[in-house]
Amino acid sequence: MHIPDGFLSLPVATGTAVLAIAGLAIAIRDVKNNLPEKKVPLLGLAAAFIFAAQMLNFPVAAGTSGHLTGATLATVLLGPSAAVIVISAVLILQCLMFADGGITALGANIFNLAVVVPVVSYVIYRFIIGFGTSSNAEPDLFKKLLAILIAAWISIVAASIFCAFELALSNAAALQLVLPAMSGVHMVIGLGEAAITAFVIANIVRLRPDLLGSSSYVNNTADNERSFFALGLIVSLALAIFVSPFASSSPDGLEFVAEQLGFIASATNLLTQAPLPDYSVPGIESLMIDSLLVGLIGTLSAFVFAWFFARWLSAPNT
Amino acid sequence: MMNTVNALAINQLSYHYRDGHTALDNVTFTVKHGERLGLIGPNGAGKSTLLQHLNGLLPDSMPKKPKDAVIHVYDRPVISDELGKIRADVGLLFQDPDDQLFCPTVWEDVAFGPQQLSLDKNEISRRVTDALNAVGLSGYEKRLPHHLSRGEKHRVCLAGILACDAKILALDEPTSHLDPRGRREFKKLLKSLAITQIIASHDLDMVAEICDRVIVLDQGRIVAFGATLDILGDEELMLKHGLEKPHFLSHHHPHSFNK
Amino acid sequence: MRNTLHSYQELNSWLHRSNAAAKLFAAILIILITTLFTPGYWPGIIFVTTVLISIATSARLHWPALLKRLLLLETLAIGIALLPLLQGRGLELFIFSLARISLCLFTMILLSSTTRFADILSVLWQLKIPALLITTLALMYRYLFLLQEEMQSLNRARNSRTFTPQRQLIWRLNADLLAQLFIRSSERAERIYGAMKARGWKG
Repeated sequence: MHIPDGFLSLPVATGTAVLAIAGLAIAIRDVKNNLPEKKVPLLGLAAAFIFAAQMLNFPVAAGTSGHLTGATLATVLLGPSAAVIVISAVLILQCLMFADGGITALGANIFNLAVVVPVVSYVIYRFIIGFGTSSNAEPDLFKKLLAILIAAWISIVAASIFCAFELALSNAAALQLVLPAMSGVHMVIGLGEAAITAFVIANIVRLRPDLLGSSSYVNNTADNERSFFALGLIVSLALAIFVSPFASSSPDGLEFVAEQLGFIASATNLLTQAPLPDYSVPGIESLMIDSLLVGLIGTLSAFVFAWFFARWLSAPNT
Repeated sequence: MMNTVNALAINQLSYHYRDGHTALDNVTFTVKHGERLGLIGPNGAGKSTLLQHLNGLLPDSMPKKPKDAVIHVYDRPVISDELGKIRADVGLLFQDPDDQLFCPTVWEDVAFGPQQLSLDKNEISRRVTDALNAVGLSGYEKRLPHHLSRGEKHRVCLAGILACDAKILALDEPTSHLDPRGRREFKKLLKSLAITQIIASHDLDMVAEICDRVIVLDQGRIVAFGATLDILGDEELMLKHGLEKPHFLSHHHPHSFNK
Repeated sequence: MRNTLHSYQELNSWLHRSNAAAKLFAAILIILITTLFTPGYWPGIIFVTTVLISIATSARLHWPALLKRLLLLETLAIGIALLPLLQGRGLELFIFSLARISLCLFTMILLSSTTRFADILSVLWQLKIPALLITTLALMYRYLFLLQEEMQSLNRARNSRTFTPQRQLIWRLNADLLAQLFIRSSERAERIYGAMKARGWKG
C-alpha cells in the first residue's frame, strides 16, 4: 500500500502531509508526556522489529507469499500514539533508503498506515474489549484475540479505502475502479494480517504476559485519552474531506455512495465466489439493497470466522 | 608518587533482589589508584551486580545521604544526587557491546557521553579523536556498528567511556566471545591504559597477566582477596569456588608471560 | 518489495562527498518537477533522464546494482500505472506514467546509493524534527541489521528441526519467531536504556 511518486496530485499530497504532520505532532506530544522514560528506546527497537517482521514470508499459495504490515501489532503492543511514531519511522526509512513509497507521497503513506491503522485498530479493539468487561477487570484472552482479529482486518481495509480515495481525488484512477479493487484486495490481505497479528500476540501472552496488558497502554490518563481523541478527529476529518467531493458532485448523494458500495460488494463477491450469483439475493429488486446486503454478509462472515479463530487461538494448549 | 586517596572504597555493600535472593553480602574492599583489580568467581556470584552498583545502574538501592553511602569513588560518596558525576567517573563496559553501542556511527557513539556533558564542539571533537586513538581505532569515525567485529565494538565502547574522562574502568567479561587475536589485542589495550581498572572475568590467563590483586566472589560474598598469583595458585581455593587453577601455574609454560 | 539490499555503494565520488541536505533537497526538487509535468510532456522526461544518467555516470556508480534495484521496484509501479490503462485512457499515457514513476524511483535510488542514513538524520535534526522521532529513527537503523540476523538465526534453529514444511505450520512457527524476536528486542531495549543512562542521557 506504499504509494509511489507520480500518483498523487499536489493538493492531495500536501493535504495528506498536513494530516500526517498533525497526527505525528499529537502522538509525539502524547508519548513525551505519558510514556515512562525507560520505554523510549523501545520505540526504536520496536520500529526495527516491525521493519524486520515485514520481511518474513508467509506462504499463501503456489509460490506467492504474504507479509505482515504490523501497524495493528504495534498498536496492541505499544498503544496508539507510540504506534504512530513507530510506523512513521519505518515508513520514513523505507522511503528514503529503500525507495519504497514516494517522497511526495510520504505524507499520504504515513497518514494511511501510521495514523489511520493505529487509530481504527485502537477504537475497534477498545470497543470489543469493552463488551461485558467492568472497568477494572482484565479482559480474558479470548476477547482480546477476537478484538485483535477484527481490529486488524477492519483497519487494513480502512487504510486501503483512504488510499483509494487519495488516488481517485488525484485523478490517478477512477473511484469506481480503484475503490473496489483496493478494498477488495485488502479484505483478503486483511485476513492474513489479522491472523498473523493474533498469532503473534497469543504467543507473547504465553511467554511474557507482562509485556501486554493495561500497562502497555501507557497511563490511561485524561491527557492520553485527549490525545487519542485528537487523533481520531484527524481521521474523521480526512474521511469527510475525501468523501465530500464525490458526494457533492452527484445530485443524490446517498444513492451515489450506495452505488460505490455496490462496487465494493461486487469485488468481495468475485473473491468469495459467493453462493449469491450475480450478487442478487433472489426476490429483492433494488441494486442498492442487494449490494448492501452482500457487503453485510461478507463482513459478517469475516466476523464469524474471526470468532472461531480467536476461540481456537486462546485454547489453553495451542 | 601514588595518590593516598583510594580510587574506590566499598564498605559493607549488600544487595537483595526483589524476590529475596541475596546478590551481594557485606562486600568490603578498596582499590588503589592506578591498580588493576580482578574480580573472579562462578556464574551468578554477583560480579555483574557489583559492577552495576559502581555505575549507579541500580537506582533503587542508592542511598540518599552522604553518611549512608557505602561506596566512595575518590572519596566522593555514591548517592542518588551525585548520579551524573558518578557515571562520568566510573565507566562501565557492558558484556554485550551491542547493548552499549547504540548510535548510528562510531563517531556519534563515542561523542555521546561528551555531548550529554554539554561540552563545546571542539572539545567533543578532540575527545573523540583522542579516545579512538587510545583504543587503536583512528579512522573508524564513519563506520557503522553492525559492520564491526565484536572486538572492535568493545573497543568503540571503551573509547566512549574514555571520552567521558572516566577515572575508573569497570569491565564486565571484556574478553568473552573474542577470538584469540581479539583477546590478545584487548589485553594489550588494557595494559596500555593507565587508569584504575576493575575487571570481572572468566579469562583467568588474562587476569593473571594484568591484574595486581584479585577478589574471589561466590554467592555474593568475598571469599578471598589478595595478590593475583597467590590466589590463582591456590588450587583448592579455586576448585572450591567453581574455578580452576590456570594451566600455566601448574607447568612451565613454553611461552613465558611478562607482567 | 521490501528488501534488505542496503543500497549504499561504498565509493568516494563527488556525489558521495556532497552535503546530505543538498542531495535530499535536490532529489525532492527533481521528483517534484517530474511529477508536475503535464501528461505527454516528453521533453521534460528526456531532460530529467539525461540529468540523472549523467549524475550516475559521473559518480561512477555501479550500474548493474542500480538497475537491479530499479527493476525490483518497478513491479509495483507497473501495477498501479496499469489502472488508467484499464480505463481505456490510452497506451501513450501508460508509458508516460511508467517513465515518470521510473525517474522518481531512480532519483531515490541515487540518493540512497550515495548518502548515509546517519547523515540524513543530521539533516532532519537541523530541520528541527523532534528529538523523539530522531532517536527512534537512529535506534531503529542501528538495530535493524542485528534484528535481521537474530531473526535469521531463530529461523535456522527452527528449520534444523522442521521436517515437513506445511503451510499452516510455517505460519505458526513464524508467529512464534516474531513473538520471540519482539521479547528479545524488548529486553534489549531495557539494557540499552541502562547504557544510555550510564552515559548521562537525560531523555
